[in-house]
Amino acid sequence: MASLGYYLLLAAFVVCAYAAAISVAGARRRSRALIESGIGAFYLLAAIMAVASAVIVYSFVIGDYSIRYVQRYSDSVQPMFYKLTSYWGGLDGSIMFWVSLLSVFGSAAIYVNRERHRELIPYVVTVISVVEMFFLFLMIVHNNPFQTYLTERPTDGTGLNPLLQNFYMAIHPPTMYLGFVGLTIPYAFGMAALITGYLDDSWLRAVRRWTMISWLFLSIGLGLGMIWAYEELGWGGYWMWDPVENAGLLPWFTATAFLHSVMVQERRGMLRVWNVCLVITTFFLTIFGTFMTRSGVVQSVHAFGDDPELARLFTMFMVTTVVVSFGFVIYRLPLLRARNELDSWLSREAAFLVNNWILLFSAFFVLFATMFPTLSEAVRGERLTVGPPFFNQWMLPIGLTLLLLTGIGPLLAWRKSTVENLRDSFLIPVTLGVVTAVAVAALGVRVWTSGICFALSAFVVGTIGQEFWRGARVRQRATGTDVFTALVGLVARNKRRYGGYVVHLGMVLIFFGFAGEGFKQKEEAQLKPGQQVKVGSFVVRHDALSITDDGQKQMITAHVTVLRDGKPFAEMYPAKWIFRKHEESPTTEVAINRGFAQDVYLVLATFDAATQTASIAVDINPLVNWVWMGFGLLALGIGIALLPDAVFSFATAPLPANAATTALIFLAVVLSQGVALAQDTIPAIFRSPLERQVAGEIMCNCGGCRLSVSDCGMMNCHGKSGQMGKIQQYIAEGKDHDAILATFVREHGGYDVLMQPPNRGFNRVAWLLPYVVAVIALLGVAFTARRWSRHETAAPDAAPIDRELDARLEDELRNLD
Amino acid sequence: MSNKAANGKAAKIALTFVVLAAAFGVLLYSSLGESLQYYKYVDEVMAEPAAWHGKNLQVHGTVVPNSIGKKDNTLEYRFDIQRNGKVLRAYYTGVVPDTFKADSEVVLTGRLDDTGFHATEMTAKCPSKYDAAPLTPGSRPSGGA
Repeated sequence: MASLGYYLLLAAFVVCAYAAAISVAGARRRSRALIESGIGAFYLLAAIMAVASAVIVYSFVIGDYSIRYVQRYSDSVQPMFYKLTSYWGGLDGSIMFWVSLLSVFGSAAIYVNRERHRELIPYVVTVISVVEMFFLFLMIVHNNPFQTYLTERPTDGTGLNPLLQNFYMAIHPPTMYLGFVGLTIPYAFGMAALITGYLDDSWLRAVRRWTMISWLFLSIGLGLGMIWAYEELGWGGYWMWDPVENAGLLPWFTATAFLHSVMVQERRGMLRVWNVCLVITTFFLTIFGTFMTRSGVVQSVHAFGDDPELARLFTMFMVTTVVVSFGFVIYRLPLLRARNELDSWLSREAAFLVNNWILLFSAFFVLFATMFPTLSEAVRGERLTVGPPFFNQWMLPIGLTLLLLTGIGPLLAWRKSTVENLRDSFLIPVTLGVVTAVAVAALGVRVWTSGICFALSAFVVGTIGQEFWRGARVRQRATGTDVFTALVGLVARNKRRYGGYVVHLGMVLIFFGFAGEGFKQKEEAQLKPGQQVKVGSFVVRHDALSITDDGQKQMITAHVTVLRDGKPFAEMYPAKWIFRKHEESPTTEVAINRGFAQDVYLVLATFDAATQTASIAVDINPLVNWVWMGFGLLALGIGIALLPDAVFSFATAPLPANAATTALIFLAVVLSQGVALAQDTIPAIFRSPLERQVAGEIMCNCGGCRLSVSDCGMMNCHGKSGQMGKIQQYIAEGKDHDAILATFVREHGGYDVLMQPPNRGFNRVAWLLPYVVAVIALLGVAFTARRWSRHETAAPDAAPIDRELDARLEDELRNLD
Repeated sequence: MSNKAANGKAAKIALTFVVLAAAFGVLLYSSLGESLQYYKYVDEVMAEPAAWHGKNLQVHGTVVPNSIGKKDNTLEYRFDIQRNGKVLRAYYTGVVPDTFKADSEVVLTGRLDDTGFHATEMTAKCPSKYDAAPLTPGSRPSGGA
């Protein structure tokens, strides 16, 4: 198996080299056949990488421990789900995963654009192939995932680090890679445009969507990483400016800048050099981030390998990239001259420019501070470090300024804003911001940075709300429909713009959550059973310590009661798990009670089984969940921007031609949830209805499937049989439904054993959400149906009152999408 | 656009850039002062301990076996860290990382005085997925320092 995999990698390298060379030849000779051959070779590369991926995954599944990579990152008792995700568990595999993803992404980008941008495609193939060649070369000479043990063949693996056997950690790296890999596509198109000299704005149109998709993945990847750190590492926070985190943030800054400045180029023909440079910088930062964290150049608490050979190879690649890319930019400078100049600083393009500078400065600052230890060692021969406070000190004002700009930008007109439209558009948002600021001050908020953040958030929300409202009113007047249809139509006509506003709203929520950090309370205490500690308005009482074992791990669970203002608030079960073979590093199982206002976050820090003593770290984290909700809204916004036009046809079409289909799709989406719940996938034999019900509500603890006991498909799943035995035992003991669930929660030490969260407190939100969505969707269908069934109303008001706004809006509608 | 105008514009942009860069450079440099921490190994510090008194310091070393002491019913720890035979007494109050134990590598942040090192923060080198402990002969050596 191993040699097959290795030969596939060699073949991939050869195919890649062929694709790069033949494409250049085809472009120079203007030979269609050669170009097609290059494209075909690139598709072949994707196929080869898919087979190679299948080989390594197969090796993980059958446990071929003669392959070093498989031996180091899996073992026989590991759940199937984590055996699959071990593919990207280590450096060698993640490089291969990267190459595979890039080949698939690249194939898709080439396939979509091969007719539309025929002149660019050969060089796009070349650029992506050269990038692929570098990583393939790296694997072949240095990080071969198919390397085998020459002499003694181990019988079992060492297993994936327990910290990484977490659902979020399994999906965080691929999301991150999708973002990184996706940003190679804009770079390839940008370079192709530079090489060919076709530097009109068509290459921008080709990469707009790809950049948005990559940005989405990058953002979600960052979010998932934060959730993982929050839930798994147990230090009570989610971001500590570690080099690994920063590596993901750097390209995010520049990609964000690009998404904004690209609008200035489309609309005004300015910033053309700037945009090319941003694309190149973003790509460079994705490579640099990988280099920084994997080569030991920057020391991190994550203790990534110290690998000078890897560092040398990466440096060569990066230097070449920079020299060649910016060399082409300089060579093509005459073609990149701006078509317009900045008319006024009171214009939207100026706001975008400032936004770009700040984002770029953020990237530069984070890069500088992350590299500071390395830099200081090189310059002064002495290792100096800067901690998270230094980052916060700088990023706090930067972040707040960006938030302010988020509110200002949309209110400014293109070219030049007049005093009247400034007064007109700023009135409501500024009032909202000021009112919030006064309210915050009146309530006696101690943390002034958080206070400013709240006020700015209100300002931005005011801006966005006003944009939606005014736009909808204008459209309503113009089309004579109801406000709701007008709103949907408005978004549909301008998906990028209004999707962007939803993203901004997501950012506001994220900042709102960040502001909560200012009110964080922290306490650590050593408690004997019955003792308690007071943190803010909460009292945390340690009741007992229990030790259980499930075969894979030993679980030490503290039973804790939390009281608020003297009343019972929650029962919580922070725990420590000690996995077999990883006794030296127990994992901390944090107990979190989530809420809109705050999370109560408990960590069992140390314990003494003999005296039942537990030291418990208590964190009260206000507003944390708003950060996660913000990420959700952000994804929704990008989703809106990316939706195909057809989805909105019902609201934009003059006649409801597609009405029936749209309504059906709507209903299908709404109903699908019920259908999914009603399905019974695996038939199982249950002795009583109660047993079937409970089995459907308890999570199978084989660790990876995340299915209920009744749905787990593994035939001989030890987790399933154990849980089933317990269920039958409890039923035999005469316990009722609630008592059985309560017993499971107590024994397991957390609510995560239940398929669905119990119906109370914040958990109600999780329950309510599908219903809320369903109701909104139904209302939507009803509104639209009403509109269709109504006869054409009288012609809209001939003279719109708000002429200027109307003109401005229509002007923008025409040009933006 | 005439060449002269273009030059004038380029000069303006360059000037703006230089002024901004200088301003931020100065700001950056001055704000570094308080947050700078020296990153040193135990033996480097112990070569001349008096020189380090009162400075923001990160000390990197390994925990000496059997040196960890904990006051009953508190989270106050006292232990020794060492490197290349030089030993430093350290104090820390709070929750220690899971990996804090004999012979584990730690980085302490805090200040040094005559009684020893008073740490406000403790980071244990946390195991990374990219660097699983090599338990079998022949695999690549682990990273870290």
